[in-house]
Amino acid sequence: MHAVGIGSTVLTFGLFMVGSDWTILPFLVLLATVGFGWRYYQSELAKGLTLLTTVATVVVLTLIIGFLLLRSMPAVRHMGLDLLTRTSGPLWSSNQGGVYALTPMMVGTALTTIIATAIATPFGIAGAVFISEIAPRRVREVVKPGIELMAGIPSITYGFIGLTIVNAYFFDAFRTPTIGSYFAAGIMIGLMALPTVVTVAEDALSAVPDEMRNGSLAMGSTEWQTTKSVTIPAALSGISAGVLLGVGRAMGETMAATVMLSHTKGFPAPPFDVFSGYGETLTTVIAFEGGNASGIHLSALFAAGVVLFSMVMLLSIGSQYVEWRMHRKLGGEQ
Amino acid sequence: MSYVDRSALVTDARNAAGLLGGGIATLATGAFIAGWATLLQWLDLSGSYAGFSLSTWFGGALLVLGVGLALAALGTRAGFLETTPDDGAGLLVAVVFGLLWGAVGLLLTGALIDGAGAWIGALVGSIVGLALALGPREDFGSTLPPAAFLGLVGALLYTDFIGRDFVFDPGWTAAIFPGAAIVPGLVIFGSLLAVWSGGKVAAGFGPQGRQRGIYYLIGLAIASMLGVLALLIGFIIVEGLDVLLTGASLFGGSLRIPGLGFSLPVPQLPFLTNVTGGLYVEVPGVLPAAIGTLWLVFGAILLAVPTGVGAAIFLTEYAEQGRFTQVVEVATNGLWSTPSIVFGLFGLAFLVPRISGGNSIVVGQLVLGFMLLPLVVITSREAILAVPDGYRDASAALGVSRWETIKSVVVPAAMPGVITGVILGVGRIAGETAPLLLVFGGPPYPSSTPNVLGSFALSTRPPFITNEALLEPASALPYQLYSSITAGVFPKEIFTDTEFGWGTALVLLLVVIGLYAIGVLSRLYFRKKLHHE
Repeated sequence: MHAVGIGSTVLTFGLFMVGSDWTILPFLVLLATVGFGWRYYQSELAKGLTLLTTVATVVVLTLIIGFLLLRSMPAVRHMGLDLLTRTSGPLWSSNQGGVYALTPMMVGTALTTIIATAIATPFGIAGAVFISEIAPRRVREVVKPGIELMAGIPSITYGFIGLTIVNAYFFDAFRTPTIGSYFAAGIMIGLMALPTVVTVAEDALSAVPDEMRNGSLAMGSTEWQTTKSVTIPAALSGISAGVLLGVGRAMGETMAATVMLSHTKGFPAPPFDVFSGYGETLTTVIAFEGGNASGIHLSALFAAGVVLFSMVMLLSIGSQYVEWRMHRKLGGEQ
Repeated sequence: MSYVDRSALVTDARNAAGLLGGGIATLATGAFIAGWATLLQWLDLSGSYAGFSLSTWFGGALLVLGVGLALAALGTRAGFLETTPDDGAGLLVAVVFGLLWGAVGLLLTGALIDGAGAWIGALVGSIVGLALALGPREDFGSTLPPAAFLGLVGALLYTDFIGRDFVFDPGWTAAIFPGAAIVPGLVIFGSLLAVWSGGKVAAGFGPQGRQRGIYYLIGLAIASMLGVLALLIGFIIVEGLDVLLTGASLFGGSLRIPGLGFSLPVPQLPFLTNVTGGLYVEVPGVLPAAIGTLWLVFGAILLAVPTGVGAAIFLTEYAEQGRFTQVVEVATNGLWSTPSIVFGLFGLAFLVPRISGGNSIVVGQLVLGFMLLPLVVITSREAILAVPDGYRDASAALGVSRWETIKSVVVPAAMPGVITGVILGVGRIAGETAPLLLVFGGPPYPSSTPNVLGSFALSTRPPFITNEALLEPASALPYQLYSSITAGVFPKEIFTDTEFGWGTALVLLLVVIGLYAIGVLSRLYFRKKLHHE
């Protein structure tokens, strides 16, 4: 029974990995085993099945990492370290056997992320403080879903508005060299990362026990003094986790940047010229060229995915570590 | 606590300081709103309002604000205003004004002399700003630096030195900064300073003043945030509504009742019920995309909900807290923050060659399902953890086995939370575009809807059951919007690409907002019900 179940699961997965048409057979066996088990050994089967789904969640992440690395190998082998460090032209071309350097895209991602963070962090923290500490209950019940809704608006919609209104405005009024600049895209991405910062930071602020606030208020402090000197310091790690997650969101944001940027690869001079004619980030290059790339070119796009993924994963793990520390700290003081 | 809040100890009496500070804050709020309206080009900077041009009004308002703040400082010092200032304005304030005045010094000296002189100006400016804020008592330290700034900017605007035709052309970029953007920018920034400082004056400085000042400031920031949100939604509705309603009528359509020989008038909305391409379509619509989105969401739910809920049950009910649960948790959070385009790459590398060999609906469903999975795990886990242990204990005390308890007590009790989480998650993936570009998208203007239900076929070769339609590329609402942005010329004359895009954006927005509204409302409903018990 166990052997049949485990065997058919492994076989299904294995055959699917090699892309065989016969995958269906072990899968049917698995289904039959599950059906049989459900009838006669339900509780044991339930435990097994839930374990299987848990393992599947981890397997998905492992597969993502594995396939990204696997498919980016040709580009790494072809370009060597130049993939990440090349600064002289040609940077991205299919001539000369293919030259693909991710450096300009990394600069682009850095620029848009910095602008987006500069917008999302102060407003996000202010929003979290407002919702959690200042707003009366009735206002909070309007503002909080409103901000969650802001997170739900599809990124392509932000991009469309950015393209038709924001880009056009900057081209018209600021006479940017091209329609679309890192600055305009960064603003839209910042707006999109904002709700993430607000939600996570607000959770952290609400998690601070009321006893701490009350203690401070009882000493005669004003509410703002309490917020500033007690609540925010206590929730600081949660707030920074929110900011880190927001940075991750901004970094991985694809569609708004794809439709807004000009897809010209190069280094703005000076590097902080966010209105320059260049516009390409790690995400946009994948989205824009992924549909019809092949060979080394496609592999280079996978390498871009690896760079992106590792940055975002670092941020994610960092924020989890920070939050874990906060839980320990707050838990210890109770 | 609420008694203390409302007693006269804390609220300010209607004194002169309150009036002066309140007046400053009110005027500044007005200037703030007008500044935004100008930036959004609702107000014309060179237009004449009551005899003066708008930039003159702005300059005048900033001057008045500056003078008002200076008066407040002097009035406090002379004892006319009853206030309780602290010894200093605080380090943070000093740093802010140091930076601000440093920038002013940089720009002023940069405009007069070139080169190294500008940096001396910046240095002098920041030292002056820092000293002015840090040195004197709070009543001077937190009013004079903003007052001086407001006075300077107000004078520049009032004399039209910086006006609509002013152009700031820095050397480091090819772009220019036009007066039409600088003036409202300065007004918005200046009015924020004035609101903060005016709030401080109104509450008589000291801890109360700080609270009032920062609350005003945060209030304005939040108001602008919500304003931006409203603007975004408003733009889409205003621009998209006409397109959506093209050819629509309440009773224009007709529905033939089969066998009876007459037809009923029904509402018609061609933009929703027509295909996008095709020869005989008068009003092109988004039906293929809408159906595509429906199938995507359906498939994603089918994959993610059982898997996610199962994993959540295992993690909360069966697994011991330890290394394994920690790994799963890190993996789930990692999946949640993985950029959507990376999921697309994964689908391209792993699923496409093994399933369809090209863009297809089923790969799109799987990829979106993988994206939905971590959200389902996280929210279900929270919902299951929120079920009180008493429920489990009561069930166990009756001799019910663990699995029976989970099945008939824990999961039903956690269902509301799970459903809410799933709805919110679906709202997110319904608008997802990036992975679809790589694994899903078909022709930009589809002329038929995917016929998934009618395409199941049995065969004698493995995998025995096939569905051609599921292996074909298709369109979805967000993908359709991307197509109409990038595809170039729209095939029909009735809409331009942009118009069709606005229409699609509106439909997409309605779908997503609808899902969110249902999700948020169900959360409120279940929460109320839970507190009732």
